[in-house]
Amino acid sequence: MNFDLDEEQELLRASASRLFEDHAQAGQDDAAAQWRDYCDMGLIALPFPAAVGGLDGGHEAVMLVMDAYGAALARQPYLQPVLLAGRVLAQSEGELAASALAGLLDGSRRAALCLYEPRGRYRWELPQTSALRTGEGWTLRGEKRAVLDADGADLLLCPASVRGGVALFAVPVDAPGVTLSTRRTPDGRSASDVVFADVALGTEAMIADHRSAGAAIAAAVDGATAACCAEMVGAMDRLLAITVDYINTREQFGQPIGAFQALQHRAADMLVAIEQARSMVYYAVAMLDAEPAQRKVAVAAAKALVNRSARFVGTEAIQLHGGMGLASEYPAGRYFQRLTTLETMFGDTDHLLGIVETAGGLPD
Amino acid sequence: MELQFTDEERGFRAEVRDYLRTNIPDAIRAAVREERPLPREWMVEAQQILNRAGYAVPHWPVAWGGRDWSAVKRAILTEEIDRNAVPRPLAFNVALVGPVIAAFGSEEQKRRFLPAIANLDLWFCQGFSEPGAGSDLAALKTSAVREGDVYRVNGQKIWTTYAHKADWIFCLVRTDSSGRKQQGISFLLIDLATPGIEIRLIHTIDGYRHVNEVFFDNVAVPVDNLIGEEGRGWDYAKYLLGQERTSMGNVGFSRRRLEQVRVVASGTTGPCGRAIDSAAFRRRLTQAEIELKALEITQMRVVAADAKASHAPDPKTSILKIRGSELLQTAAELMLDALGPEALTGGFGMPDETDPHQGIDARSAPLSAYFSSRKFSIFGGSNEIQRNILAKAVLGLGARK
Ligand SMILES: Cc1cc2nc3c(=O)[nH]c(=O)nc-3n(C[C@H](O)[C@H](O)[C@H](O)COP(=O)(O)OP(=O)(O)OC[C@H]3O[C@@H](n4cnc5c(N)ncnc54)[C@H](O)[C@@H]3O)c2cc1C
Repeated sequence: MNFDLDEEQELLRASASRLFEDHAQAGQDDAAAQWRDYCDMGLIALPFPAAVGGLDGGHEAVMLVMDAYGAALARQPYLQPVLLAGRVLAQSEGELAASALAGLLDGSRRAALCLYEPRGRYRWELPQTSALRTGEGWTLRGEKRAVLDADGADLLLCPASVRGGVALFAVPVDAPGVTLSTRRTPDGRSASDVVFADVALGTEAMIADHRSAGAAIAAAVDGATAACCAEMVGAMDRLLAITVDYINTREQFGQPIGAFQALQHRAADMLVAIEQARSMVYYAVAMLDAEPAQRKVAVAAAKALVNRSARFVGTEAIQLHGGMGLASEYPAGRYFQRLTTLETMFGDTDHLLGIVETAGGLPD
Repeated sequence: MELQFTDEERGFRAEVRDYLRTNIPDAIRAAVREERPLPREWMVEAQQILNRAGYAVPHWPVAWGGRDWSAVKRAILTEEIDRNAVPRPLAFNVALVGPVIAAFGSEEQKRRFLPAIANLDLWFCQGFSEPGAGSDLAALKTSAVREGDVYRVNGQKIWTTYAHKADWIFCLVRTDSSGRKQQGISFLLIDLATPGIEIRLIHTIDGYRHVNEVFFDNVAVPVDNLIGEEGRGWDYAKYLLGQERTSMGNVGFSRRRLEQVRVVASGTTGPCGRAIDSAAFRRRLTQAEIELKALEITQMRVVAADAKASHAPDPKTSILKIRGSELLQTAAELMLDALGPEALTGGFGMPDETDPHQGIDARSAPLSAYFSSRKFSIFGGSNEIQRNILAKAVLGLGARK
């Protein structure tokens, strides 16, 4: 094993980090320009194969970018358009998928993969949403929940039941019968509930059929989950740094509160939790090219541990800040909000432990 | 020993519950149950309904509306108020400033303030904490300098809950900085309409609008508003903090939250699939319920012992504060977990000056409650300070032999 970054990786990490930090300084005012910057730096093309115009960056590169993204609390959509929808598009067929992917790579378009359904919790594999064959194509009917960054997307990728399996449909957001109700997540992203009320689609709308869609979605979800873990570790790492800085400067009882051993131990425990989480990110990334069943279990195991660390680190950071931890103006609270949001994505701890448990434990 | 509630206590519980359910409007109880922020008028209305029945200030001296009930009965009352989703009587009024005025105020001050405080005709907020004085409260700097019939007050308070809704503020101010820092502190009541006071909202990560900074710029406060003697404010503050502890454990509040979690997790009213089908989730919920039962009894034990003791704060109260805050936090976490991915589309409150409900509705409330619940282990003496108290005052640790 070797955990050192090579020169190229160092460079990528440094430049991504600089970009995200600059954006964070500049605020949220120019989302479009910031998204262009992602594109110009090659962050959008990074995970895709050269054959479709990508940079063949590999899983480690994505991990480094997401770590920097988390540390800076970057705000432009990435998980959804690039790692979920983008990756699924790259595995799909037909003109619709190809043009959507080309649009993503040149920064002009975004799609959103709609995973969850009412009462379905984190199980996307057997959707209640159905696609019925009609004379001209398909009729799509169902509801999806908590779709990340669907606003700003022009295309929705909707898994639906077809012939007892799951197929994937590409639906323009402005198609008749599609309604979005969008809310802000605590960390400033957006999540939408989407209704597909008998949406009439042409035959070309099915971009992956019941033989291939499941595998494509699963690969994208596992990759995005690992990336999400990397983002969480980046955020935790920075949150600990902010906290250490705070308790070293905040004085009560005539001394920095960081001088109290009770607080030193808490900070030390945060460090332990973060380093354990980082190790599981490495594990997940290393397993992304494994056989799908093993990959799924490894990624679930990683996020289960990262989630637990995130809840611990997040709540401890707030506690060590006292009242200041709750103030929106101060960064600690915003990191806690980000971590909380990410914790609910791709499976909460109980769900993920369930996956590992059902598989009879971790793969060798 | 009598390890059961007596018939009289049971009867009292039934009577309270009946009164609350009959008299408090459903809309108010629904808002409390869903943890939506309440408009000021609703809090006033609810407290006045409680006050009519003697439920707002039972722990006060009988002359001022108190009831001379046992501590156990008062704890039952608080528990029923919380469990039935009734807004608690405003703590700053009834649990903090009221008892101090009753104990140390002049007859004139008692007449002027106590009935209005009990009935929430006057809304008080608490101006103790300052930017440099949180856990180390005695480090406070806001100064009050006597000039004839007034004190000139200068300085800043922070984290002042509901200052933007309040009429008055009770403050610890420094009237003398020559001696030990606990000396030279005085207890002052200040009308928030006095010129020179500025209140600025602090936005918090829960999306609620509750805490503020309060700035005092040469504010003239009549010396008549001083409580007790100049320089004895620290003693009064200690007395205040040792007051009503029947609500410290937040037992009824946690129970209400856990009951709600069970409902949502069982999917009867919840918007998403059943978290309760997960064995791991059931375990955690069950564990919390058991912990709460223990806390309920610990709370009664502390309260009952308290009734016999003097007014000196019982350090064991810290046990209630620690476990009580942790349980409220656990319950909020369980609710988030029960909602799963849909916790996110609950959306999130944006502080909005024009909206009395602050954009927090039934769907977004679980997220707000989750973030907000972190405060329970921070304010009113953080859990670290409570552990220091247990270690030193109860276990005798760290004392040099
Ligand atoms: C939502 C909310 C509402 C509030 N409402 C009011 C109000 O209405 N009126 C009012 O006066 N105040 C109010 N407060 C203030 C509250 O009482 C303070 O936040 C509290 O006293 C802690 O002070 P601090 O925030 O300055 O944190 P600090 O004192 O700076 O503490 C930071 C961290 O250091 C730890 N720490 C401090 N000293 C020690 C020690 N000796 N040993 C070990 N650890 C230590 C703390 O436990 C905490 O984890 C409110 C606070 C909040 C969050």
